[in-house]
Amino acid sequence: MRPENYQAQSHPPSHEYELNFGPNHPGIEGNYALQVRLHGDTVVSAHADGGYLHRGFEKLMEGRLWIQNIALVPRICVPDPVPMEVCYSLAIEDISGLQVPERAKWLRVLQLELSRIAAHLFYFGGHAATTGMYSPSFWGVADRDLILDRFEELSGGRVYHIFNIPGGVRRDIPEGFLGRVSALLDYLEARLPEYDDLLFRNQVFVRRSKGVGVIDQQQALAWGVTGPNLRATGLGFDVRRDDPYLIYNQLDFEIPTEDSGCCWARTLVRRSELQQSIRICRQVIAALPDIGGPVRAPIPNPLAWNVPVGESYTRVESSKGELAYYVLSTGGEKPYRVHVRGPSAMHAVQVLEKMVTGGRLEDVAQIMFSLDACPPEVDR
Amino acid sequence: MNDFPLPVRAERSNPLARVFDELIDFCRARSMFMLHYCTGCGAIELPPAMTSRFDMERLGIQPMVTPRQADILLITGYVSIKTLKRVILTYEQMGSPKYVIGICSCTVNGGMYWQSYATAKKLNEYLPVDVYIAGCMPRPEAVIEGLRKLMGEIKAGRANSWERYFREYDRYLAAQQNLFGPNWQTPTDIIGEARDYQLYGPGTEGRHTELLQQHQVPLQPLRMTLHSDVEKSS
Ligand code: SF4
Repeated sequence: MRPENYQAQSHPPSHEYELNFGPNHPGIEGNYALQVRLHGDTVVSAHADGGYLHRGFEKLMEGRLWIQNIALVPRICVPDPVPMEVCYSLAIEDISGLQVPERAKWLRVLQLELSRIAAHLFYFGGHAATTGMYSPSFWGVADRDLILDRFEELSGGRVYHIFNIPGGVRRDIPEGFLGRVSALLDYLEARLPEYDDLLFRNQVFVRRSKGVGVIDQQQALAWGVTGPNLRATGLGFDVRRDDPYLIYNQLDFEIPTEDSGCCWARTLVRRSELQQSIRICRQVIAALPDIGGPVRAPIPNPLAWNVPVGESYTRVESSKGELAYYVLSTGGEKPYRVHVRGPSAMHAVQVLEKMVTGGRLEDVAQIMFSLDACPPEVDR
Repeated sequence: MNDFPLPVRAERSNPLARVFDELIDFCRARSMFMLHYCTGCGAIELPPAMTSRFDMERLGIQPMVTPRQADILLITGYVSIKTLKRVILTYEQMGSPKYVIGICSCTVNGGMYWQSYATAKKLNEYLPVDVYIAGCMPRPEAVIEGLRKLMGEIKAGRANSWERYFREYDRYLAAQQNLFGPNWQTPTDIIGEARDYQLYGPGTEGRHTELLQQHQVPLQPLRMTLHSDVEKSS
């Protein structure tokens, strides 16, 4: 209901009716709405209604110092904040020609992958909850908390770390950190079979999600789908491998794909990605002790730092898909323009609208969640 | 927040009634249904707070899906202007007594979006807020601590800031009209409710409610069509 025009309206008699999903509690995590027109149980048309989380990020960033924006960027995508910091830092480093020390690169990859695991665990729980299974969400949130504890140890913040800055990371890891992360990874890996029994092989979930919300590869490419949602249609495109940044070209990992493009496939892709992320983290943990040196390149006085004239378009792979920053500097102490190309803006608006059309009412929430869109990043 | 302090509820003279009041307050404090409107990033700390690690349910706090049955409205983070309309609408639908908790610095003073053109800065200009939980973002422990504080206030009979919305409706409406324009209206008849609850105060009506009444269109009942009518006409 829109408060501006809540007046009752009369329509010609019809079998169709409208239903609002959200903004109060839609399928996706957060404040986002979907208006669907239904005929019986079948969705006739859908209209995504965003903007509830709009804060005018790109405008705010033009009014703040380069370094102040580091605190702002993780807020764009709350469940998976690290890629935001890293991507923004990469763009500035690209413009100003800063050389990031080797150790900082490995530390960034460690954070990126831990953040990906955390985001995926959160996703499994949420997706299961939309099919009426609540135990996986309890498990997922509890296991994600263990990762947040490690982040807290590293940076002092559970959710927002603000640990990556242009030039590297803020400080080195604490004593014994790698051992604790490694124990955490062992635990998570041991949990995976239990997750399989609870969720991925659970017939309630399989039957609800298999063949629902299908998108084929051609359509996915045409609509700008990226990340796990694209890989669920059989195309193994991943920025980490195909346009490597940081040290991803030195790491050994696979890009899991599925062919069917349905909700079930999207979950499976993420489940396999979890394993790959654990694998990457293990490689980082094995390599880090041998990589010495500083963790931060010296930058000029950050409060009066004029990044040289230039522009950069940098992309990374976040847990939701391809994330990119376009940063334009005119040599001032503030960015002239920052544009965020988020994956969710495509997924949650055009793809979602088309995907739910023709589907059934009870699958709408599931389809919304299976795309793993992040509303704050849609609205920015 | 305490710019207009409310008195503690007057004690009733009948001792039995007093015991009854205390009992009711005790029960209220122990079974709070919260409607959380995930208005901003603070919402991400609620799943940990609600699930097994921090487990809010042991305090009798449970999520609730509809405003009509909820006691607490949890505002989790910055409120954009578009969201604020829905928040006010939701708040007015809730049954009294109702409590508002503002989580995150953004609800206190705008937080890190203090210069944003799209967010409302101070929540308590638009709604009476009982407890603020500051922090960016507050940890689950802080959220639970805030809720426990509210429980204590309810038990002591002090958490009646919802009455303020009725007694000083004109002031809240003024801020709302300031933000949303003079045509702002909601389907709830707050002045009528204030009379009904005997909470009509000198601040209930004023300049701004006059403006509201000038352009307010009375609610029309929805015309319901039976299935057979559709068959006939189509
Ligand atoms: S206070 Fe911080 S965490 Fe909370 S809504 Fe504002 S920016 Fe987000």
